[in-house]
Amino acid sequence: MIRLFATYQSVFDQILIYSLLAMSQYVVLRAGTFSVGSAAFAAIGGYTTAILSTRSGWHPALAIACGVVLGGVVSAIMAFPLSRLRGVFQAVATMALVQVVVTIALNWEDVTRGALGINGIPKVATTGWLVLIVAFVVALLHVLGRFSIGRAMDVIREDETVAVSLGMSVAHYQRIAMILSGLLAGLAGGLQACNSYTIKPEDFGFTLLVNGLAMAVLGGRTSVWGALVGAAVLTTLPELFRVFADYRNVVQGALLMVIIIYLPNGIADTLFGLAHDRRVRRLVTGLEPRAAAVSDSGAGSEVTR
Amino acid sequence: MSTATNAILRLEQVCRRFGGVHAVNEVTLSVPAGTITGLIGPNGAGKTTVVNLVMGLLHLSSGRVLLDGADISRAEAPALAQAGVARTFQNIRLVPHATVLDNILAGYHRHETAGFWANLLGLPSARAEAAAHESKAVALLERFDMPMLAEHRAGGLSYGHQRRIEIMRALAMNPRVLLLDEPVAGMNDAEAASLGQIFRDVAAEGVAVLLIEHNMRFVTSVCSYLYALSSGRLIAEGAPDAVLKDAGVVQAYLGT
Amino acid sequence: MLTQQLLNGLVVGSAYAVFALGFTLLFGVNHVLNMAHGSVFMWGAFAGLYVVQAFDTSFAVALLVGMVAGGVLSVLLDFAAFRPLRRRQAADFATILTSIGANLVLLAVAQKVSNTTVMRFPFEFFPIVMYEFMGLRIQLLQITIVFTGVLMVTALVYALYRTGFGRRIRSVAFSGNTSRLLGINAELVNAEVFFVSGALAGLAGVLIGVAFNSVHYLMGEPLLMQAFVIIILGGLGSIPGALLGGLLVGVVQSLAYAYISSTAADAIAFAILFFIILIRPTGIFGQASAVMRVQRR
Repeated sequence: MIRLFATYQSVFDQILIYSLLAMSQYVVLRAGTFSVGSAAFAAIGGYTTAILSTRSGWHPALAIACGVVLGGVVSAIMAFPLSRLRGVFQAVATMALVQVVVTIALNWEDVTRGALGINGIPKVATTGWLVLIVAFVVALLHVLGRFSIGRAMDVIREDETVAVSLGMSVAHYQRIAMILSGLLAGLAGGLQACNSYTIKPEDFGFTLLVNGLAMAVLGGRTSVWGALVGAAVLTTLPELFRVFADYRNVVQGALLMVIIIYLPNGIADTLFGLAHDRRVRRLVTGLEPRAAAVSDSGAGSEVTR
Repeated sequence: MSTATNAILRLEQVCRRFGGVHAVNEVTLSVPAGTITGLIGPNGAGKTTVVNLVMGLLHLSSGRVLLDGADISRAEAPALAQAGVARTFQNIRLVPHATVLDNILAGYHRHETAGFWANLLGLPSARAEAAAHESKAVALLERFDMPMLAEHRAGGLSYGHQRRIEIMRALAMNPRVLLLDEPVAGMNDAEAASLGQIFRDVAAEGVAVLLIEHNMRFVTSVCSYLYALSSGRLIAEGAPDAVLKDAGVVQAYLGT
Repeated sequence: MLTQQLLNGLVVGSAYAVFALGFTLLFGVNHVLNMAHGSVFMWGAFAGLYVVQAFDTSFAVALLVGMVAGGVLSVLLDFAAFRPLRRRQAADFATILTSIGANLVLLAVAQKVSNTTVMRFPFEFFPIVMYEFMGLRIQLLQITIVFTGVLMVTALVYALYRTGFGRRIRSVAFSGNTSRLLGINAELVNAEVFFVSGALAGLAGVLIGVAFNSVHYLMGEPLLMQAFVIIILGGLGSIPGALLGGLLVGVVQSLAYAYISSTAADAIAFAILFFIILIRPTGIFGQASAVMRVQRR
């Protein structure tokens, strides 16, 4: 019984940590930036935390904080050149960045112990802390999304030409998104290190990149809940798919395709959209106490000027 | 020649070439504050190109654009918007899945004063500013007779409504110069008339309005000065009645 | 010896160029980054190997089968993964994600089919004939690879610039909407380009499979990363760029493998890619308009 709970708890921990990675990806996607480099910043955060807490004997919380800061710093440096580019180039550049970071981790053996990875990281990122941290981040991103920063990002994502004619500096907001993304990814990496005792270079490779991206897209690009939903779904699915054994990857790949094609806005966004539309319909038909009912079809209301 | 003395926006001998073709050829025009200046011409005459040149989407091949005497020929679009130049688009460009209110609120970006951190953390100053902008947006909606549509998804509304939302977004910027690119296209006379009144009110507040339109009745009813463009060149200018009777203009439109 | 390595690099590079050419065509015409292109390459090699093992066919037939298999698979990929998105006019990264998903499927099936083993062509499948030329040792196989590559590229360039087929493709590459208005069936052209791109990948697969005498389900993955380097270096959507880039990368890789470790060579490749994107994203031949944000043009 305890073992059952333990297994589910570790899955739950994974969901929480992955949700931070997905949120890191969500932030950039919301601003229309096609950066997919969260895995790289997670690696930076994870390794910084691991090295500082094992070899230098720092307190894990401080080590994690350092990982977060370093993730943010590196992403800030990257943000300036990347914000001058458009979509596919940002994607390819950040993909390359992920590979570069993994290769460095594999080869800089003096510091990272190469393919062996780093062991014996104190497990301080327990479920309780993870829940608190994730809740805090969700609240932060929720607030960010509600005011002018979030709105500006939405316009920039949808139509850059309109954004610039409204006075928005596209590069500025994309840089903000990228730095925030780097901080969150660094946090995810640091927490992962302090939750799983060991980290290895391949933990932060292309697979993590794809997972983070898939979670953000699956959940929804415009609301922070999307990242949570995406992380929950994509982390538990493989567990369910164990029954498919060898064909697990086939099913995962096919599922990814199907969802992208048929549920393009992601689960959370689609659900929110439906709920919003229903509320508006109720408004219109007078089921909810608000303004007088009116139809929204046709060429507007009576002109009485 | 319209009085250049109180003109806020002025184009001087503006040219734009695409390869060997002159899309805009030595166009000189003034848009004074407090009036509605019209720009007409058959399709492909270069009217939208003029707007794009002013608004920072195209380089000028030659000539200059002046805003209150300052040369803005090389200014980029965000700077122009910050300086108070607003435009609407020929094809409606809204965020379709956002609400009407959110679409309009985007126009207040120019007036953001609450700092970055205030907006990031939702501090009271940011909240207050957001609330202030929201009430202004609602006031705009009432002015346009659409307050009940605030929460509707912009993409699902009628064409006429969407056009108005775009205009509201431009007005939210509280601009000094307003470039309207075919704002009443596809509307019936009643709708166009109500919009025309709003434009007149806006101009009366001191805004310099440049109106690009095909609807001649509308143009004559709201514009006090007219420029006619054909194949990139100005072929006539003056009071609307005179311009519309000009032989060259008639020929350009009817192609005989 | 340096020149020997250069030669080896050019040979491998010409196969890379063919692969990258297919990749860049897809981007230039269909505006997709096909992350499953590496699997098409791999399945082409699988198909070529299969006919050789099952029917004892010649090298030429294996090449042909590889091309056809690659082309067909690529078109199927289009139908399954890209066409539904085109209809919806989805965002760019949606195509990246579906192709990643499709890639996972193709890889998993290949892994199952091949039982995760490295397969080889029959002994002496390609006659081992060596020539001495100006102090360099050149194998008949290497000559054949370069020759095949050159032949394919010439045929493609000819087709693109001298036939109606090619004109339609270039028209759709320039503007899908305009082409449709001119009566061109853009969807058919898209499918044709997918076929050509897949055929090139399949061909490269057989060539590389024979050259290194190694066919396994992951053989296409590192190549895809290199394809990125190649087409960014040469310029997205540019044919001469893909060719030049392919040769350059082949040479640099050969030299790096010979004189430095292979993992360091990979890191160098990605670092180069990263810096190229930052400093000169258009590459050697690319168009500037593909890169810049909204600003005065």
